[in-house]
Amino acid sequence: MKKLLKNELTKTLNYASFKVIMTLHFVLFLLIIIVFSRIDIAVPGFSMRNLFRFPDVWATFAWIASWFNILLAILVIVLVGNEFSFRTFRQQVINGLSVEDLVIGKGIIIFLIALYSLLLVFLSGSVFGIIFSHNFEFADLFSKSYLLAVYFIQAVGYMIIGMLFAIIFRNNSLSIIMFLLYFIFIEPIIRRFFSPEVRQFFPVKIISHLTPPPEVLTIASEKTIENSTGTSNFDFESIGLIPHQLSLFVTLLLAIGFIALFVFLIFQIMRRRDL
Amino acid sequence: MNEILSIQNLSKNFGKIKAVDDLSFTVEKGTVYGILGPNGSGKTTTLSVITGVLHPASGSYRWFGNKPGKWERKRMGSLIEIPNFYPYLTLFQNLQIVARIKNVQEEDINRVLGITDLLRRKYSRFDTLSLGMKQRLSFASVLLGDPEVLVLDEPANGLDPEGIAEVRKIIMSERDKGKTIIIASHILDEVEKVCTHVGILKMGKLIASGRVDKLLVMDRVVTMSAPDNTKLKEILEKSGLVKSIKEDVDSITATILSETEPGEINKYVIEKGITLTRLEVNKPTLESQFLELVREQN
Repeated sequence: MKKLLKNELTKTLNYASFKVIMTLHFVLFLLIIIVFSRIDIAVPGFSMRNLFRFPDVWATFAWIASWFNILLAILVIVLVGNEFSFRTFRQQVINGLSVEDLVIGKGIIIFLIALYSLLLVFLSGSVFGIIFSHNFEFADLFSKSYLLAVYFIQAVGYMIIGMLFAIIFRNNSLSIIMFLLYFIFIEPIIRRFFSPEVRQFFPVKIISHLTPPPEVLTIASEKTIENSTGTSNFDFESIGLIPHQLSLFVTLLLAIGFIALFVFLIFQIMRRRDL
Repeated sequence: MNEILSIQNLSKNFGKIKAVDDLSFTVEKGTVYGILGPNGSGKTTTLSVITGVLHPASGSYRWFGNKPGKWERKRMGSLIEIPNFYPYLTLFQNLQIVARIKNVQEEDINRVLGITDLLRRKYSRFDTLSLGMKQRLSFASVLLGDPEVLVLDEPANGLDPEGIAEVRKIIMSERDKGKTIIIASHILDEVEKVCTHVGILKMGKLIASGRVDKLLVMDRVVTMSAPDNTKLKEILEKSGLVKSIKEDVDSITATILSETEPGEINKYVIEKGITLTRLEVNKPTLESQFLELVREQN
C-alpha cells in the first residue's frame, strides 16, 4: 500500500499537466473568491458580505470550489487515460500488480486531490470568515462546517465518474468529450423522458446538487425558471440552479450510493477486460 | 519442483481469429525455451496470457506449480512487445516504479543500468532515448531484482547489430546462472544460439517441440560457382560430401551433410583442380524449416 502510494506520487507529481492544472485550480479559486468578496450588490436588508461570514462562508466556498470539480474530473481522466496510452497499466500488471492494485492506486490519487481541495476550501474559508465576521460565536464557526465534508464527497464523486469514463473509453480525448457531453447534454436529455420525481435521482443531478448555491442567489434564478417554461428549462437545471426537493442528507446518501456503484463498475470492467 | 511453467490446452481468440489454439507445453527449471514462429503465429499472445494481461478463452496455465497471480509475476522479469514506460519520467524514476512493484531494493537500479550501459543516462527523461536505448531500458527493467525467470518477447527487436550481440550476451550469462528463460522469436538463428528447448508455433498451434539439438538439425545449403560448373557438379557428386546437387544457370546449389563444413568442400575441389569463384552458405530460412517440419509431421 505504501509502495503503491509512492508510485502514484512519483507518476503524478512529476507530470507537467498535473502541475499546470493544480496551479490553475489554486490561482483561479483564490482570484474568484477575492473578486467575489469585493462585489457589493446593494439590496436592502442584504449584503454580499454575509456570504463570507461564519457560518455561511462554508456554503459559499464549497459552492465556488464545486465549479472546479469538472476540471478535477478531467485531470483524473487524463491521469487514468495516460496509463492506457502509455500502456503502463499493462506493464504494471506484467511487473506484478493486480488490476485491483491499479484501481486502488488511482483511488488514492483521487482521495488526495479531494483532500487537498478540501483543505484549500477550509483554509481560505477560515481566513475570509475571520476577516468578514466582526464578532462570531464559536458555535457559528462550525455550525455549517459539515458542508466541507459534503464538498469532499462531491469532488470524489466527480472524479470517480471521470475515472469510469476513462476506463470505458481508454482514450483521453474521447473520454473527455463523452464526459462533458454526458454532463451537459446526455443526462439532462434522458432526464426529460422521466417524471420530475424520477428526474432528481439521476447521478449527475444528485452529485451536482450536493453544494447548492447560497440561498440569496437561488431566489433570483427560481423566478427565471417560472417565467420560462419549456425549452430553456434544462439550461438552468444543468448548471444546478434549480432548488431541489430532496434533503441534503438524502442527496448525500444517494451520492455515496452512486459512488459505490461506480467504483464497483470500475472494478468489474477492469477485471473482465483484457489490458 | 522442477516445473516452472505449464500450459494446458490454452486458447485465445480475438473475434473470429484464433490467435492461440489449444496450446500445451511445459518449461522446466533451468531451460531456455524458445517459442519460434513467424509473425502472427501467436507468440506475443501466448506470452501476454501467461504474464497476466490477457484472459485466456479456455485452458489454463501455472507458474511455479501455483495458480497464477501477482506474486508469481513479481518473481519474473518480463519484456512483452514494445518498451512501456512513462515518457516524462527519468530512467531512474521509471525503474524506481518497477522496483517498488517487485519489492526490490533501489540500489539494484544502478546495477541493471550498468549491465545495459545506460548509467550515464540515468537522469534523462525516457522520451529522449533512442529506440535501441528504450529497448535496453526494458532489458534493465527485466533484470531488476535478479528474477529467477525471464520472459522475453523478441528481445533483439529494434537493436543494432552491436545491441543484438550485447543482449545475446546478457541472455547467455543469465542462462549460465541457471535462470529459466522463455524467449519468443521469429529469428531461427537467435533461438538456435541461445535456447535449449524450442516450441514451434504456426497459426496459434504448436506444431513441434523438443530439444533444439534434436529439432533444429538441418542440412545446410551451399551455392557455388566455378569456371566450369558442369565439371564441378561431377566432382562433387563423387565426393561423398553432399546429399543432393542441382545445377542452375550460373551456379550450382548443393545440400551438404550436416557434419560437413563448407571449408572442406572448398579444400576438396581445389585438390581436384577447380577454383571456386563463389562459395556461399545459405542459412535455411524459418519458412523452409517450417515446411520441412510440417512435412515431417505428415
